[in-house]
Amino acid sequence: MCAPDHSKNINRVGLFSYLIVEKKISLNINGINVSARPGLTILEAARENGIDIPTLCHIPDLLPIGACRLCVVEVAGSRTLVGSCHTPIAEGMVIQTHSPKVIATRRVLVELMLASHPDACLICDKANICELRRIAADLEVGLPRFRARKHYFPVEDENDRMVRDMSKCVQCRRCVMACKSQSGQPLFSMAYRGFDSKVIYGNDQPLDRDACRDCDACIEICPSGALRKPRKPGEERADKALFIKG
Amino acid sequence: MPQQRVVLKNCEVIDPERIESYLAKDGFKALAKARQEMTPEQITNEIKASGLRGRGGAGFPCGIKWEGARTAPGDIKYVICNADEGEVGTFKDRYILEKDPFTLVEGILIAGHAIGAKQGYIYLRAEYHHLLQHLQSTIDQVTQRGFLNGFKLEIREGAGAYICGEESALMDSIEGKRGEARYRPPFPTTSGLWGKPTIINNVETLMNIPPIILNGAAWFSQMGTERSKGTKVFSVSGDVEKPGVYEMALGSPLRELVEDLAGAKNIKMVQIGGATGRVLPAEKLDTPLAFEAVLGAGAVTVYNRSRDVIDIVHRTMEFLAEESCGKCTPCRQGTEVMAEVLAKFAKNEGSLKELQNLADLSSAMMLASMCGLGQAAPNAVMDSLQYFRGEYEKRVAS
Ligand SMILES: Cc1cc2nc3c(=O)[nH]c(=O)nc-3n(C[C@H](O)[C@H](O)[C@H](O)COP(=O)(O)O)c2cc1C
Ligand code: SF4
Ligand code: SF4
Ligand code: FES
Repeated sequence: MCAPDHSKNINRVGLFSYLIVEKKISLNINGINVSARPGLTILEAARENGIDIPTLCHIPDLLPIGACRLCVVEVAGSRTLVGSCHTPIAEGMVIQTHSPKVIATRRVLVELMLASHPDACLICDKANICELRRIAADLEVGLPRFRARKHYFPVEDENDRMVRDMSKCVQCRRCVMACKSQSGQPLFSMAYRGFDSKVIYGNDQPLDRDACRDCDACIEICPSGALRKPRKPGEERADKALFIKG
Repeated sequence: MPQQRVVLKNCEVIDPERIESYLAKDGFKALAKARQEMTPEQITNEIKASGLRGRGGAGFPCGIKWEGARTAPGDIKYVICNADEGEVGTFKDRYILEKDPFTLVEGILIAGHAIGAKQGYIYLRAEYHHLLQHLQSTIDQVTQRGFLNGFKLEIREGAGAYICGEESALMDSIEGKRGEARYRPPFPTTSGLWGKPTIINNVETLMNIPPIILNGAAWFSQMGTERSKGTKVFSVSGDVEKPGVYEMALGSPLRELVEDLAGAKNIKMVQIGGATGRVLPAEKLDTPLAFEAVLGAGAVTVYNRSRDVIDIVHRTMEFLAEESCGKCTPCRQGTEVMAEVLAKFAKNEGSLKELQNLADLSSAMMLASMCGLGQAAPNAVMDSLQYFRGEYEKRVAS
C-alpha cells in the first residue's frame, strides 16, 4: 500500500495551459472539419460539435483520470488509440471517434469490466441508473466473452449516508477525484496493485458510522452500484424502473 | 561479429572504487569538452546526429528528448537516470553500476549541462540496495574533485515495483506518491518531475554520452544499422553455457549472441526484451538485434527443447498481472483474464474458443492501455500463438 496522493490542485483549469495560443485550432473529426479553442481535449472538442464519446471515469471540470479507457479514439499517425478525455487537440488532427477498430476496442473494455462484475444487476439498487449498463447496452455488449475471478467484498452498510459495495466497483476513481475536489482530507485513496487494486477508506477498513456526512458527491458520481444511498422500499426511487426490451 | 566494447570499455579495466583509475582512462574529458567548448545546443545536436536511441526499452531518440527539455520554458529542470532495471532477465545496468559508475555520472553531468538542469536523481532498483554505498562513494569522489560544478546529484531508492521503472510512475515514486503511469501529454520533457521539464534516461543510454561527445557523432553512427546506431549491452540467461553480459554492435544476429558467445544448444525459443518482450523460435535465430527487429532493453532469455512454451508464457503473464499498476481497465482486467486462460491451458483444460478470444483481447490491450506495460503485455502470448500454436492445441480439453 502506498501513501495516498493528497496533491491539492485537481482542477482541470490550467491543464495544457502551455498550449494556449490565440488562434483557434482546425481539426477533422469523423470526416468533418471543425475548429475549436486551443487547450481543449479531444473529448471536449467533439462534444462541442455534437459528437458523443462514451466516458466512464471522466468528470467535467476536474483533472482527467484516464483510467477507464472507454473514451479512446483513433488519431491518424498514432500507433495506439488515444484517450480523448486527456489528450489535447492539435492543429490538423484527424480523428475517428466511432471507427470499427474503436468500437471493437470499447466492446472489449466493457466486457473486461463485466468479466469480474457480480451478476447482481437483477437486485442492484442502482440498476436503473447504472452507467456501466447503459454503455454496455449502447455498445450491444451482452454476456462477456471473458471470465475473471470476481471480487467478493462484504457490503459496507454501517454509515447512514452511504452504502459501499466494492464487489461492484469498476475502479473509475471518480469517487476519489470527486472527494478530493470537495474536501481537503479525501476519504478515499487507491491501494494494492493490478487486479487487486482497490479504492480504500482509511487503511482499507469498512466505512464506519462517522466516516463522512458532508456531501453526496461521490455517490452521485459513482457510475456503478458500488456507492449508493441507503434506501428502504417505498422511498423515492433513483429513476424510473428499468425495462430491458429484447 | 565479435563483441565490441564501447559502453563496457572500462568494465573490469578500471578500479570502480577509485576515481584516479577512471581519470587515467580519459575520465571527465568529455565533460570538460562539453562545458568548455560546446553550447547546450551543440551538445543536443551532436546527440541527435549520433542517432543514439534510448536503451531502456522504448528506443526513443535521445537527442530529440534532450532538445525538448532544453527548449522547454522553465528555470528548474531535472535529469533522472533510470536504474530501476526491473525488466525480467536484465542485469546489464547492475553490471555497469558495479564496474564503471564514473562514466554514468559523467553522462548525467553532460545531460544536465545540455538541458540546463541543476539537479539530478539516480533511481536505484530496490533490489540493488547493496550498490547504494558504492554509488554514493562515486558521487562523493566526483564531488570532491569539483566536477559537479553546482549540480546536485542524489540517489533515490525504489520500493520493488516493476511499474516504477516506467518513466511517469518513476517520477510519481520520487515525488513520494503511489507509483502509477500517467497519461501523456504532457510529456516529461515539458512537465515531468514536480511538473518541471525533465529528461529520464536509462543507465546504458547515459553511458554512451561521454564517448559520443569525445569521439563525435560520426564515429558513433558508423556502428549499427540504419535505424539503430551504436552497440547494445545484452543480458543473456537461461539455457546457455555462459550466461552474462555481452556487448555487440546493433544489428548483430541473435544466433551469434546466443550460440557463438553464450554457448546455447538445442534452442527451442528465445524471449527478447523480458516479460513484455518478443518470443522467437529457433528458426528465427538469424533475426538481427536492432530496434527495427527485436531488442527491448536487451534481455535475452534462452529456452532449450526441454522447456514447455505454455508454462513460460503463463508465468510471464502471471508476473505482468501482478505488476500491473491497476490504473487502466485493459491492463488491470486483461492481464488477469489472460493469466486465467493460460492457467487452464497449462492444466490441459484450454478451449479453442478462448484462443480466438485471446486475439481480440490482445488487440484491445495493445490499442487502449495507457502505458507500455499493458500495451506490450500480450506480446509473448501472441508470438507463441504464431510460432507454437500446436502446443496450445495439444492442451485443449478433450
Ligand atoms: C512497465 C515498464 C517498465 C520499465 N522499466 C524500465 C526500467 O527498469 N529501466 C529503464 O531504463 N526503463 C524502463 N522502462 C522504460 C522507461 O519508461 C523509459 O522509456 C526509459 O527509462 C527512457 O530512457 P531511455 O530513452 O534512455 O531508454 C520501462 C517501461 C515500462 C512501460
Ligand atoms: S466506488 Fe464507484 S466511483 Fe469509486 S471507483 Fe468504484 S465505481 Fe468508481
Ligand atoms: S497499462 Fe497497466 S501498468 Fe500501465 S497504466 Fe494501465 S494498468 Fe497501469
Ligand atoms: S473517460 Fe477517458 S479514460 Fe475514462
